[in-house]
Amino acid sequence: MQRTSNKAWLAVAPVVLVVAFTAVAPLMTVVNYSVQDIFDVQTRLFVGLDWYRETLRDPRFLEALARQLGFSALVLALEIPLGIWIARCIPLQGRMTVAFLIILAVPLLIPWNVVGVIWQIFARPDIGLLGAAVKALGVSYNYTSSAVDAWITLALMDVWHWTSLVALLCFAGLAAIPPAYYQAAELDGASRWQVFRHVQLPHLKSVLTIAVLLRLMDSLMIYTEPFVLTGGGPGASTTFLSQYLTSMAVGQFDLGPAAAFSVLYFLLILLLCWLFYTSVMKRGDEAA
Amino acid sequence: MIRFTPLGESDSVNQWIVALAAITVSGLHHRYEPGAAPVLDGVDLELGDGEAHAVLGGSGAGKTTLLHLLAGLLRPSAGTIEFDGRAVTEASAAERHVAQVFQFPVLYPALDVAGNLGFPLVNRGWDAAAVRRRVGEVAELLSIAPLLSRKPKTLSLFEKQLTAIGRALVRPDVALVLLDEPLTAVEPAAKWRLRQALKAVQSELGLTMIYVTHDQTEALTFAERITLLHQGKVLQTGPPEALYERPAHEAVARFIGSPGMNLLDGEVAAGRIRLNAQALGTTSAADGRCILGFRPEWAAIGEQGVPVTVRSTRPLGSLGGVATGLVTAKLDGRVIHVQQALDGLSGGQARLRIDPARILLYRDGWLVDDAAH
Repeated sequence: MQRTSNKAWLAVAPVVLVVAFTAVAPLMTVVNYSVQDIFDVQTRLFVGLDWYRETLRDPRFLEALARQLGFSALVLALEIPLGIWIARCIPLQGRMTVAFLIILAVPLLIPWNVVGVIWQIFARPDIGLLGAAVKALGVSYNYTSSAVDAWITLALMDVWHWTSLVALLCFAGLAAIPPAYYQAAELDGASRWQVFRHVQLPHLKSVLTIAVLLRLMDSLMIYTEPFVLTGGGPGASTTFLSQYLTSMAVGQFDLGPAAAFSVLYFLLILLLCWLFYTSVMKRGDEAA
Repeated sequence: MIRFTPLGESDSVNQWIVALAAITVSGLHHRYEPGAAPVLDGVDLELGDGEAHAVLGGSGAGKTTLLHLLAGLLRPSAGTIEFDGRAVTEASAAERHVAQVFQFPVLYPALDVAGNLGFPLVNRGWDAAAVRRRVGEVAELLSIAPLLSRKPKTLSLFEKQLTAIGRALVRPDVALVLLDEPLTAVEPAAKWRLRQALKAVQSELGLTMIYVTHDQTEALTFAERITLLHQGKVLQTGPPEALYERPAHEAVARFIGSPGMNLLDGEVAAGRIRLNAQALGTTSAADGRCILGFRPEWAAIGEQGVPVTVRSTRPLGSLGGVATGLVTAKLDGRVIHVQQALDGLSGGQARLRIDPARILLYRDGWLVDDAAH
């Protein structure tokens, strides 16, 4: 009674086509550009991996990469613990819970360039609430002239924008812990720290994996907010990979190097996320 | 199977019996919010040292609330709790020396079995060597020594719950162990083993245990005495036989037994119990309407007695070579069950005869004390 038929392929054909035209083809075009030197539509030259070599030797690329990794590490180190702490402060039920969740969700609903504008004004030392207040305290602060101030402002903005995501994910994780775990811990004489360490943290593992992955990917791709806030300055002190790439591809129209850059950028994000994910999963298996 | 090291062979075993407690609960009331209906409404309970006690009741009876109050996880709205004559009503959970086993195995995922067992001791400042020795003893007692280095994730539900029980027993000063339907999550085949293990540990260690369940079989096999809780009130406390033979309340009569007691409308007139105008026996109870109660095996369907219609029979096996079964019949539109020999019984019209000495009378739900005897 077994009949084989290849008609099933027709059913997946639309998906294959859509994916091919929207993902595979554009990506392959970039790969194609990255191995050629293009002067105009007719005149092009195959250069092999030259653009890759050049990009990896470009000091400005390496600096932007270092800044990018530093920025991601910084915001993750701030947002993950802060998000967990906020989530633990939200009451698990009651009228206040809803209020907390709504307030937390607000920054996530604001368009990214609006976030940039908000902070651009908020942190201005002359008229901005934050900038003027800090200045009034006698601290010299100006994010347009000091690289350290620019970094602090950027990190604050990212924490303001994205900690809510971590907090909401963690709250969902905490809300799913059956009360019996807390009751058992109370009977076992566990301290507050032990309740966190042995009851809450283990149950947050999967949501934290997701939170770290999302924040890692997103922070590695950050573009809009620093573009609006600092424009990559002062100097190049807040120029991250995406911004450098844009100036190369759109500003200077260096398609070949920009394509090689893009492929490297893409592979970097893929690699970091893969490394993180597999290490978490492997540790989970070892525990098993 | 669970094996136990004989008691008295090692010094440390004596530690088991340090803190036994008699428990006295009086007038316990609890409501979760002011103005809400009370979950517990005047519960009185007395437990002796080392007693295996079961609290039986349907869902919403207040069983879990009672456990939380005993454990110190909740404070009662009114009433007192005493351990060995010492008032602990306001004492915290940690001060009470109470341990609890929950409906599903509650283990700390990041700790291995040894870490889970030792957790309450580490929290009380025991040094590592003493914790290891004690954990070894408990693991030996429950035959889970080979699992000590395993993480909870890798255990079966049965092994997990056994570990959770071990953690409840690990503190030598534990006065009372509360079991909140501990077999719910365990696969049916392992239920019996776990129940045996619990019972054996209880009698071996002489620990005071309260076992909460909605399953009468579990309660009847575990406990020396049973308390039946119904809508926040204690309807009866007593040994299993008492709850079966002389249920103090109609709800107890219905709840205990499978099927429950037959309850029919009847009356007492001039010292005689009457059902459908037929006299069944004598009583010293006052005249008036009442409910007649009798267990399925206290009656027989045959050629004498009150007319009934036999609806179906279900064989239950053979007893002394006689095939017995459960007969379902109707009497005035009420379904009744009778357990008897099935020989010579056919469907249709028949007559019901109830052992007159065993008929119980209920008025306003409660047993009339001086019924026919």
